Amino acid sequence: MNVEAAPSPAGLRARNRTRPVPGREVASAAALRGSAGIATFLALWQLGVVLHLPLLAKIPTPADVAAAWLSLLRDPRYYLDWLVSFRRVFGGFVIAQALGIPLGLLMGWKAAFRSLTFPVFEVLRPIPPLAWVPLSILFWPTPESSITFVIFLGAFFTVLINTLAGVRAIDERYVRAAISLGATPAIVFRRIILPGALPSIFTGMAVGMGITWSVLVAAEIIAGRSGLGYLTWEAYVAGSFPTIVVGMISIGLAGYLSSALVRIVAARAMPWSKRF
Amino acid sequence: MVDATLRRARGRIAWSQLVLGAAGFAAFVAAWWLLVHFAVWRFSKLPDPFSVLREWTSRKPEYGISLFAPTYYQDIWASTVRVTIAFLLATALGVPLGILLGWNRIAREFLFPLIELIRPIPPLAWVPLAILMLSGQQEAMIFLTWIAAFFATVLNTMLGVTSIDESYLRAAYCLGSRRWDVLWNVVVPGSLPFIFTGLQIGMGVAWFSLVAGEMIAGEAGLGYLILNSYMELQTTTIVIGMVTLGLVGFLSSALVRWTGRRLMTWQSH
Repeated sequence: MNVEAAPSPAGLRARNRTRPVPGREVASAAALRGSAGIATFLALWQLGVVLHLPLLAKIPTPADVAAAWLSLLRDPRYYLDWLVSFRRVFGGFVIAQALGIPLGLLMGWKAAFRSLTFPVFEVLRPIPPLAWVPLSILFWPTPESSITFVIFLGAFFTVLINTLAGVRAIDERYVRAAISLGATPAIVFRRIILPGALPSIFTGMAVGMGITWSVLVAAEIIAGRSGLGYLTWEAYVAGSFPTIVVGMISIGLAGYLSSALVRIVAARAMPWSKRF
Repeated sequence: MVDATLRRARGRIAWSQLVLGAAGFAAFVAAWWLLVHFAVWRFSKLPDPFSVLREWTSRKPEYGISLFAPTYYQDIWASTVRVTIAFLLATALGVPLGILLGWNRIAREFLFPLIELIRPIPPLAWVPLAILMLSGQQEAMIFLTWIAAFFATVLNTMLGVTSIDESYLRAAYCLGSRRWDVLWNVVVPGSLPFIFTGLQIGMGVAWFSLVAGEMIAGEAGLGYLILNSYMELQTTTIVIGMVTLGLVGFLSSALVRWTGRRLMTWQSH
């Protein structure tokens, strides 16, 4: 596609959002204030640690953290931890989507199937994913599969409920109009149910992605031997405190990158939508 | 949106739905029992539903935890106290901060980037730092639970304030309201639906991270009960702990929903 000839929806949106000339100045002032806020935070942190303020006595300074990160960047094991955590998260996440989306679509579409299955899911859903860790370790043959299972649970219910809600929110009249114009159930499903539920499905995916990283950290602390969560915990056990903060920042970064990936996929899959 | 759908799903309960629901649940329990009973694959490692039920309702439980055991209620109480303190702290700090961020552009520009920088760090990644920062395990667990609920509350409150129709604010100013009156009579009630969405999400994630905190650093509470029963291979007690967590979590979310409905009587549900 020729990008210059056909303005992308994102470009159109950006142009609409930018107000006349003063808009630019406001934006740069906002950036300046944002940086000032972050800089103040870092300065207070450094100062608090140096002055041994109550909560911060044992906390490493930002400078220590930066130094620890630089030395860790030269360690190949650090990259391996990234890789391992990403593989676990995406493994569990993809399985959750592969099961949750079809099940949610079916539950939204067929009332009888919904009545049959909804109560069971409603009973299981409030149990926090991490409460499944012990049973999961007992049940699955390898630690790796039990971690993946708990991550799967973290994303599964979110995507299921969001898909179901997305289908249920579709205006009944669309379906009736299509049927009265002679559409078969397959066409109704492909042209109305699926695209109609997509925004909600992607909301579920974005929320689910956030949950999976949170679950991953705890699962790695409890049952893991590698990964970013384990790196953080190991640093705590070994008493190398700056590495703890490096681990936290790495996990935050990894979570942010994966959420951004979901958003990009969403924008690609729904060019008509302006929500992302 | 999710909520409305669920409510609609609950609201119109017809007989056929009830029967189907019961059938689905019975099928789930039967499948569970059969898989365990005939030791399909690794299901022999799990307890079957009836032994869980027997243990739960037993006056003399094999592993010490049942409806008639005081220690069971001590664990529930320990977890509930932690969640309540953390949730109240998150509400007391998060709602005012969220209103400030939504209401005052300068404050938002200063603080929001910082919040967005810290927010992607999952609450559970704070575990080691929380233990280092705070002297006691109790404080560390409350901190973990608090930080999970706090961000959900702040963000949703801010979203609520920014979503208020600009013309309401202008109308109030035109009629001579002062900034303080507008804040109290327009901004706060206008953002209440979002605030309560945030509080509900916050309650969910609070239980979520409390369980992890108790598993890693706890000495009492439902998360600790589950992990401890795992160490001693008391699988029925693990399931009792899980079910109890689900129940308590569900009840606390229902309480938040109920409070929200009470405060927002103008809304149609």
